[in-house]
Amino acid sequence: MSVALHAPALGSPAGTRARVTLLVLANLVGAAAFLWPFALPAIAGPALENHKMDGPWLLFALAGILAALLLLELGRGGLGPKTVALLGVLGAAMVALRLPGFVAGFSAMFIVVLVAGNAFGPAFGFLLGTVGTFASGLFVGGLGPWLPFQMVAVGWVGAGAGLLPHGARWRTRLLWLAAYGAASGYLYGAIMNLWSWPFLVDGSAWAWDPGASAATNLSNYLRFYGVTSLWWDSARAIGNVALVLVLGKPLLAALDRAARRMHLDLRQV
Amino acid sequence: MRTGLHPGAWIAWASGAGMVAFVTTDPVYLLLLWALAWFVYATHRVPGPEARSFRLFLLAALITLGLRTGLVLLGTVNPSNVAFAFLEGLRLATILVVFGTFNAVTDPFGVVRLAPRRFHEPALAAALALSIAPRTVASVANVREAQRLRGIHVSPLRSLPALAVPVLEAGMEQAVTLAESMDARGHGRGRRSRYRAQSWSRPAAAIAASALTAAVVFLSASFGGWAVLHPPTSPLAWPETEPILLGAIALLALPGFVRGGQG
Amino acid sequence: MTPTAIRAEGLSFTYPASARPALDHVDVALPEGSFALALGPTGAGKSTLLRAVNGLVPHFTGGTFTGRVHVAGRDTLASAPRMLADVVAFVPQDPISSFVLDRVEDELAYGMENLGVDPGHMRRRVEEMLDLLDLVALRNRSVRTLSGGERQRVAIAAAMAAGPRILVLDEPTSQLDPQGAEHVMAALQRLVHDHGMTVLLAEHRLERVAGWVDVALGFDEGRVQVGAPADVIRSLAVGPPVARLGRLVGWSPVPLTVRDARNAAQSHAIGLPAAGNGHRTGDIVGALRGVTVAYGDAVALRDVDFGVREGEIVALMGRNGAGKSTLLRALAGVHAPASGEVRVLGRAPRPGVDVALCPQEPESVLFTDSVENEVRATLEARGLPDAAAPWLERLGVVEFASRHPRDLSAGQRLLVATAAIAATEAPLLLLDEPTRGLDPDAKQRLVRFLRAHAADGRGAVIATHDVELAASVATRVVMLAGGEVIADGDPAVVLGDSHVFAPQMTRVFGAGWLTPEQVAEAMA
Repeated sequence: MSVALHAPALGSPAGTRARVTLLVLANLVGAAAFLWPFALPAIAGPALENHKMDGPWLLFALAGILAALLLLELGRGGLGPKTVALLGVLGAAMVALRLPGFVAGFSAMFIVVLVAGNAFGPAFGFLLGTVGTFASGLFVGGLGPWLPFQMVAVGWVGAGAGLLPHGARWRTRLLWLAAYGAASGYLYGAIMNLWSWPFLVDGSAWAWDPGASAATNLSNYLRFYGVTSLWWDSARAIGNVALVLVLGKPLLAALDRAARRMHLDLRQV
Repeated sequence: MRTGLHPGAWIAWASGAGMVAFVTTDPVYLLLLWALAWFVYATHRVPGPEARSFRLFLLAALITLGLRTGLVLLGTVNPSNVAFAFLEGLRLATILVVFGTFNAVTDPFGVVRLAPRRFHEPALAAALALSIAPRTVASVANVREAQRLRGIHVSPLRSLPALAVPVLEAGMEQAVTLAESMDARGHGRGRRSRYRAQSWSRPAAAIAASALTAAVVFLSASFGGWAVLHPPTSPLAWPETEPILLGAIALLALPGFVRGGQG
Repeated sequence: MTPTAIRAEGLSFTYPASARPALDHVDVALPEGSFALALGPTGAGKSTLLRAVNGLVPHFTGGTFTGRVHVAGRDTLASAPRMLADVVAFVPQDPISSFVLDRVEDELAYGMENLGVDPGHMRRRVEEMLDLLDLVALRNRSVRTLSGGERQRVAIAAAMAAGPRILVLDEPTSQLDPQGAEHVMAALQRLVHDHGMTVLLAEHRLERVAGWVDVALGFDEGRVQVGAPADVIRSLAVGPPVARLGRLVGWSPVPLTVRDARNAAQSHAIGLPAAGNGHRTGDIVGALRGVTVAYGDAVALRDVDFGVREGEIVALMGRNGAGKSTLLRALAGVHAPASGEVRVLGRAPRPGVDVALCPQEPESVLFTDSVENEVRATLEARGLPDAAAPWLERLGVVEFASRHPRDLSAGQRLLVATAAIAATEAPLLLLDEPTRGLDPDAKQRLVRFLRAHAADGRGAVIATHDVELAASVATRVVMLAGGEVIADGDPAVVLGDSHVFAPQMTRVFGAGWLTPEQVAEAMA
């Protein structure tokens, strides 16, 4: 009697509809919460004025809770040795790349999340973004209050890479990834900037105004962003595109082969 | 590293001090925190690369302070505005300095080991990333040299694959061996136990308690409004200081008087 | 009747997406306390069977599995590998890749933590393992700072800490020098003879293990033959040099150790070998004069004089850490000496042009998607005409021209890397430990290539501790110890003079006898 066994999938199967719904909802709530500087003034109104200085810590708490929730949910049923080993090795690459090649906002570590998310799927992409950022924070000695925030942001970059269309040809896949690399380069910067922005409450045209409408705050923030990190983030966006175009195909091919060698059934991811 | 203070004590200290810095822009309190952070760093720093991070954080703090204050110059400049921006920057900078101390005195593996059971696998992945990273860095150097010895220079962007692919492939082979080994050694089998888990010593507990107290005092002042935490800047006036709050901050100096057994 | 530790009945297994079976109707029954060796060509199924013993096949790999495997009475099909962790210990080929934690002591405890063993019991077991594998002095060290042999022992201790009575190892001595290999084999023997463990290992370097084991599993295209080591080795036509000699001159049983061979050879007197080796050599290609190399404070090479001529194949030998790799790197021009001078073709060496080096991990140069493209990448980088075929022929890898380099076996990858590196057309070729994990077939092709390379008037230096390789191909042997040259000359003399680095033929018949073929001819 012959038994045909499919090797376990990468991570825990994310197939059930309820689970996917829960994950998407959690992410949406998280995203909404991150955007509190725009929405909350309209909701809380004048009461916010008294606590405007305390607002930002709400963000850290939220980021921390969100990261924890998502990690718990993704890890339900156990990640398994294959996922943990891949997270370890690819996380090590992120740690190793954190420091060198650091030009303005560009960090070579993003290419790892981009290709790994694209090759192994959004769940793995998110996990790698979170774990790798945490590990490189530990390594570089950069454990700060922004860390949960940064973990989730890099996690989102990885997850997004996993949701891109693959297409039948390499060119399609790479162009999507390059475009996403540019977009995520800017978005990541915009999100990361958001953590320190609400500290700036001096009434200037790029400061946060707890009494203003969402639209006003948004335009203020765009001014703030333009003044502070636009160039920084452009370096990151350009760097991402360059690396995707040069390294995308060989790295993705290597990861696809690794999946086969590990006997992973990626259809289940 | 198990002979040092329980990492949880350090996390409590950094969180408490960070919380205090969060809720105030009073330069007296903030600068006092700077002094304490430096004091604790000096007495507890772990020799090695981690100690360097304090200087990095200090640098980042000063840069942040400079940038925040400099932003004002783009708008209307008057003593009020400058003072306001400076104090905002000082608050952020203080948080950075506190975490600089935290990074310089803790062992990364110790922090990872603390992860609660439910987070065991992500924490393990983070620990793995930390221990494999030096090998990855060495791999990059080796591959670069090996390619040079066959006539391929990896500097121009075009030849990056010659550097990146072998490094990644080596990593992938390692991942297979690692996964097999972990599977064969019972990963994911059931309830785990902890080998020689670090226990809370009295000094560690005292540090955690004092940090918590300091944070609570300041939070109560912030929500209860019984002290001025944000000195007025228009008009510009000298900050008042509340003795109770000064005492609360002084509690955060406790680690400096405790022997951790490290360094 | 001794209980059976490992029993396979009618075991057939095919990897997913694979055409032919990796294991074909295998029947094996190993009683408790066996010291067993799995041998055979690469790809014949050794690794697969090892993994079938602990359940990685089929649970980790997927695939089609027929038959049954029972380990200590447990059915591997019914239990996932993690459930067998307390019964079977698995030590993979590259131990450093399998370490999870940083400190030796923590690594030993990891397996027990997974099994939920209570802390007091864990403490006791860790202490026992430290004693058993002689690791007490290393308990607080980082695993990254250990030598190859020490890592191997830590991996064994870590796998065994949870209490299994069956130990399975995949090529445990391939990365080790002769001394390190002996220590590991002695430790395994102690486990079997004094502690009643069952040990099954897969190995290529048969001269290191053949004499220690009491049962052999010979693998040939997925089929297994179980028997006494001498019988299996004879019928598969593999084995250490003494076995090759036995087959050549018709001894029965085929000797497995030097001692067996001396007994068998008592009646044959063969006198002294013919002097000289008749190699024609030309001008000096590369030389070190008074070279000292230091890494920070540590001196790796001390006032070394070394030269290699056209037509020479120099074997650079010495224990791990003696300075072999450093010498090669100095000769290649990648590490500037602190004093002395390095000359290749009369001037400072240009890496990749005058000198080419195949590194210890040949995979670290492979980055394209086909063997042919690998060679073409070198030709393009060096501005040479795009003709890869001759190089593929010289290394005997034409049949793999369109295969992905990473899909090949370790030995085949070495040949591809050597082809890619030789394609630089550098007159001086350096090889750093080429025989790690190399199967006999690939070794033969490498030897053929090196002889042709020398006949072409080029020079080669091979750093190795594979004594048999040096004996069969070197025209000169240089020995290093502690960064200094301690011997330099004819292989027959230098190897004949050494205890540790003497080839088996020398140990049986005396100095000057290097290869079985040479001895067989003299006996004829």
